Amino acid sequence: MNKFWKSGDLFVWLTGAALMFSLLMIAGLMYLILAKGLGFFWPSDVAELDLQNGSKLMGEIIAQEKVPSKGEGIPDEYRTQLKIGNRDLYGLDFRWVDDEEIESISYPKYAVVLERQEWGNMYGFIKEITENRQVISQGNEASWPVLESLMPVYAKIEAEIKAIEKGDIGGINRQIESYRLKIRGLELKGGDNQAQTQEYESKIKEEEEKYKVEEKKLSVLYKEFNKDKIVMVSVDGREKEMSIGNIVRAFRPNSMNWFQKASLYTSRAWGFVSEYPREANTEGGVFPAIFGTVLMVILMSIVVLPFGVLAALYLSEYAKQGTLVRFIRICVNNLAGVPSIVFGIFAVGFFIYGLGHTIDSFFYQEALPNPTFGTGGILWASLTLALLTVPVVIVATEEGLAAVPSEIRHGSIALGATKFETTWKIVIPSAMPSILTGLILAIARATGEVAPLMITGVVKLAPQLPVDGYFPYVHLERKFMHLGFHIYDVGFQSPNVEAAKPMVFTTALLLILIVIVLNLTAIIIRNRLKKKYTTSAV
Amino acid sequence: MTAQTRLKRKDTQQTSSGLRKRKLVDFIATSVVTTGGIGIILSILAILVFIGIQSVPLFQGVKSELVSSFIIKESPELSSYSLDSPDKASFPFIATGVEEYREIGFIVTRDGIVTFLSLKDGKTIKKVPLTKLDGSKITSSFVSVNNKLYSFGTDDGFILPVRMNYKIDFVGDKRVITPKITEGDLFKLGDAPLIKIAYEESEEEGGSAAAAYTSGGELLFVTLVEPEDDFGDSEPEHLAYNFTEELHGNTVTAIELDQSLENLFVGTKNGKIYHWDLSDKKSPEFLRAIDATESPDTAITALAFLLGDRSLLVGDEAGNVSVWFEVPDKLSPTGDVLTRIHQLSPFELPVTNITASARDRGFIASDKGGNINLYHATSAQKLKELKADGSSIEKLTFAPKANGIVAIDKEGKMYNWSVDNPHPETNLKTLFGKVWYEGYQKPEYVWQSTGGTDEFEPKLSLTPLAFGTIKGAIYALFFAIPISIFGAICVSQFMHPSFRNTIKPVIETMAALPTVVLGFLAGLWLAPIIEKIIPAVFTVPIVLTIFTLISVFIWHYVPRGIKGRFKIGSELFLLLPVIILGILVSLWLNQPIESAMFGGDYKEWFYTVLGLQYDQRNSLIVGFVMGFAVIPIIFTISEDALSSVPKHLTAGSLALGANRWQTAMRVVLPTASPGISSAVMIGLGRAIGETMIVLMATGNTPILDWSIFNGFRALSANIAVEIPEAPEGGTLYRVLFLSALLLFFFTFFINTIAEIVRHRLRKKYGQL
Repeated sequence: MNKFWKSGDLFVWLTGAALMFSLLMIAGLMYLILAKGLGFFWPSDVAELDLQNGSKLMGEIIAQEKVPSKGEGIPDEYRTQLKIGNRDLYGLDFRWVDDEEIESISYPKYAVVLERQEWGNMYGFIKEITENRQVISQGNEASWPVLESLMPVYAKIEAEIKAIEKGDIGGINRQIESYRLKIRGLELKGGDNQAQTQEYESKIKEEEEKYKVEEKKLSVLYKEFNKDKIVMVSVDGREKEMSIGNIVRAFRPNSMNWFQKASLYTSRAWGFVSEYPREANTEGGVFPAIFGTVLMVILMSIVVLPFGVLAALYLSEYAKQGTLVRFIRICVNNLAGVPSIVFGIFAVGFFIYGLGHTIDSFFYQEALPNPTFGTGGILWASLTLALLTVPVVIVATEEGLAAVPSEIRHGSIALGATKFETTWKIVIPSAMPSILTGLILAIARATGEVAPLMITGVVKLAPQLPVDGYFPYVHLERKFMHLGFHIYDVGFQSPNVEAAKPMVFTTALLLILIVIVLNLTAIIIRNRLKKKYTTSAV
Repeated sequence: MTAQTRLKRKDTQQTSSGLRKRKLVDFIATSVVTTGGIGIILSILAILVFIGIQSVPLFQGVKSELVSSFIIKESPELSSYSLDSPDKASFPFIATGVEEYREIGFIVTRDGIVTFLSLKDGKTIKKVPLTKLDGSKITSSFVSVNNKLYSFGTDDGFILPVRMNYKIDFVGDKRVITPKITEGDLFKLGDAPLIKIAYEESEEEGGSAAAAYTSGGELLFVTLVEPEDDFGDSEPEHLAYNFTEELHGNTVTAIELDQSLENLFVGTKNGKIYHWDLSDKKSPEFLRAIDATESPDTAITALAFLLGDRSLLVGDEAGNVSVWFEVPDKLSPTGDVLTRIHQLSPFELPVTNITASARDRGFIASDKGGNINLYHATSAQKLKELKADGSSIEKLTFAPKANGIVAIDKEGKMYNWSVDNPHPETNLKTLFGKVWYEGYQKPEYVWQSTGGTDEFEPKLSLTPLAFGTIKGAIYALFFAIPISIFGAICVSQFMHPSFRNTIKPVIETMAALPTVVLGFLAGLWLAPIIEKIIPAVFTVPIVLTIFTLISVFIWHYVPRGIKGRFKIGSELFLLLPVIILGILVSLWLNQPIESAMFGGDYKEWFYTVLGLQYDQRNSLIVGFVMGFAVIPIIFTISEDALSSVPKHLTAGSLALGANRWQTAMRVVLPTASPGISSAVMIGLGRAIGETMIVLMATGNTPILDWSIFNGFRALSANIAVEIPEAPEGGTLYRVLFLSALLLFFFTFFINTIAEIVRHRLRKKYGQL
């Protein structure tokens, strides 16, 4: 026994236990997010619960849990959580049912799930479909094909309406606003601008005429849009009429086979990344958030790459190596460890209140007191992240520059190349993989960062994307949506957290995948690079 | 010249011009890289400077300057007033005031004439007689703290409330201020001249009240109560009381009435403060008399309410200035007792006036020797001393925006000071020390930046926030350090390098995991689960240790043949199922333990036995999740330090007969310990700065409590929560910048030390 103790194996195993525990935590985390995130799109069966008191419930079974025992000897009880949807009828999406109250559970073949623009999911049966108040089909069996054939028609009308509302009318409003600002600008300038002002005013009138035309088109379309109605019956017999245009997706999970479910799964997953959010971000897709994240990262890269490389070049190639440079290097290194919120508050003070207000007072005076750049926006957020990640790029680039053997440099200079030529044509190309690694790490860090963004321009719901078809195409002053902030906002600020949870898990999965893929790329590049130098050194 | 030589010459020419060009490019590149590089590095470092500059004004003192002063007598309209009488009662100017732009001031004289004058040079702008006085003389005056309502007591027992309004027009860019007087209804108190008065109108509930001390030594109180069922035709009820009896013949020297018409304070010549509770208008109640000065010979000379009407400011004949408010007291019949909270730095001569600011908890006081002090009540500080010419300050007023002081001295000289005091409430003491705020039982550290009303006083103590930051970081490290360092030792010392090459990237990738995801999981997924299984959470470490012990024991008796098939270190993977089993066993034990040890409900047990409150989002969750976030960092850096310990050291140790644990503990660990401590420091830095996890996984309540079952509010999360609401340049804004500066310094300091340690270590390895 003494020998066993002395061998230290016990402690070795304890360190092993610590390692295994952390690996287990990582695996558990990934499993949790994958399971919860990927399961979100799978159309689960719709259960009908007959309760002992005679009432009926219908919905997706979400969870089951043990109710704490009421005392010694009493057997444990279980309860089941049901997503009953039909928020417009019941008010609540979820319900807990004690298992002992349940008489029986069945899965009716005709149970229909409707994903709707408003009020969330509907679970029920089809009673009838009407066209201009004339019943065209009745009952589940007959109405389903009708509904399936009508859905694409309405998708098309909806697309047309969206095109007019966002495109044409949006453009007209933008024109009117720009003329208004011009008039205001003339007013501010002072002096006699009567003629110009009148010209703009007449132009505004023209646009308003156009607006009326578009509005008429819209009202025709809307009439069309509301032509067909579907009457649904919930399991407890309540009827609900809605226009078919309100339905995003309709399916009958209980009568679908595995293949149909898989294709629906794909369609919902695609919808998640390509659609706009609905119902205060708790439903629909996250397309604007993905778009905002990507654009912000691109803008950040445009800034951070040249500046980071320049600073690194200076530090390792041009500056005289000494205590000062060493000190600066340590400082730069440490900036990477400074809390991101510090950069955020700096950006609020310097970019938004400092630079932004100055820009506004010089170039956007006519829009005041509404701030243009004097408030959070994608430009400021990108610059903040650029500041935050520039140390990452500097450090990585410096590492790469240091790894370039000095013989190569000496050779180049001995052959008559200038220092710039050596750096530009010999050193930088060899250090390129390191620079890329730095950039990727910077992007990975920027993608996952939320705290500085939520005070510099990220919003829960941005009405417009920062890029559109109107001059100057990229609108740097606009606020934007971001995946990370989406998680925070939907998970913590939304009124219906329970209903939004699966959505948050999926967003989290998406974000983690992006970050991990970026990091793995960086690691792979780094490893290749190491191999390259080890071979070249031989 | 042959063609060949010509060609050659051309070539050399080209080369020399090409060379020049190349040199120029090189020169330009050098200067661009140098200036650009230096510029970028400087601008990064400028962040620190900028944040510092933003928070500096918090500590700048009050700037004040005498804008103008003039002798009122020289103004033709006012020169007829005699100032020669030694008797204070006949000082001709009964009240003075100023509008918010500090361009126009006014003086009210005893004969009921309001004279508006330019504060620049004392020229009269407008003279308005108070018509409702109807010939009677003013004997006393009272100013409400909002600086708009003035009231005057007359020699025939009336009080006349007067509102001063200013209409502001713009003619082009020029501001034109037109003063206007609105006289209220006369308020009858008696027939004798009123020597001291107090009059207030309640803005919320309607109604008004007045208290007055007459020349006959009577203390009268009259209130008008709006009828409850107000149909517009019934008259307000007129209730009159005589409080003279309670005074026991003492002479009243000051009266103060609060705006909600619930408290009446009366100061007397023998240094007592009498307090009446007026909340029931039908039966006002005398509460008590308190000795407020050091001796009964010292009279109270000035009383005033601080903004919010909860704190009473008291000035006495000995020059003392103090702040009083009611503090809960069990011995008192009403449950509260008026207590002297702050004693401010005194004058040498009797106090003549006290006037509170309408903006913050600041106030000004003056004395008989022409001194004016600007105080801040909550921080108990004298912010500024102003000096007039040396004769007694008779009338004193604070500009509505608290940015100017106007005073009249006994010689009839009017002074107009500007005051620049943007952050009166902050200094090192209020930011980091205990402060006794209004309505609190004792001095405390409080962070409460916004409140419901305009009168709310922001309480900006950074101590609970710094405490929260440290609490979170410590709990996180408490969890992260053992796991990450043990893990690093295991990977670097006891495992085949091939495992290292897969495990390390996996854990490193976790370092980049967005913390918002972790925060979300912590707050919405983990917190509700942990809440159900608290007993299991605390048994897991014990159970896991026991299980590991058992598995080592079993492994000891596994035949050598089987053991040999395992690659070095791979046997440790056998622990995976053991750990899972251990966790399951702990979960299974949860309920039995809870019923056996905590009587079936651990929350109740914690509360009744330990006095601990259980919050769902608490430090345990944060410690766990933030620990998870810093494990990869500590792991990676310490693994680097451990695995770069030169191989000949370990080889030597093993060759001398030490086993692998002894080698790891006595050779590798001491050599790598600086690296490990720098890893811990970097982990600490990250835990301190982490924002999203603490924002999402704690309740964000700024409390000072080490309990692991309570939440906290960290500096970083506080910035994220409060900066969108903080007006630019305001006190809160600057305090948030200050907290960012603290975070910056703290993390920068820690990281620099860690970096230097690592640097040294690298050198050391080189020498070994």
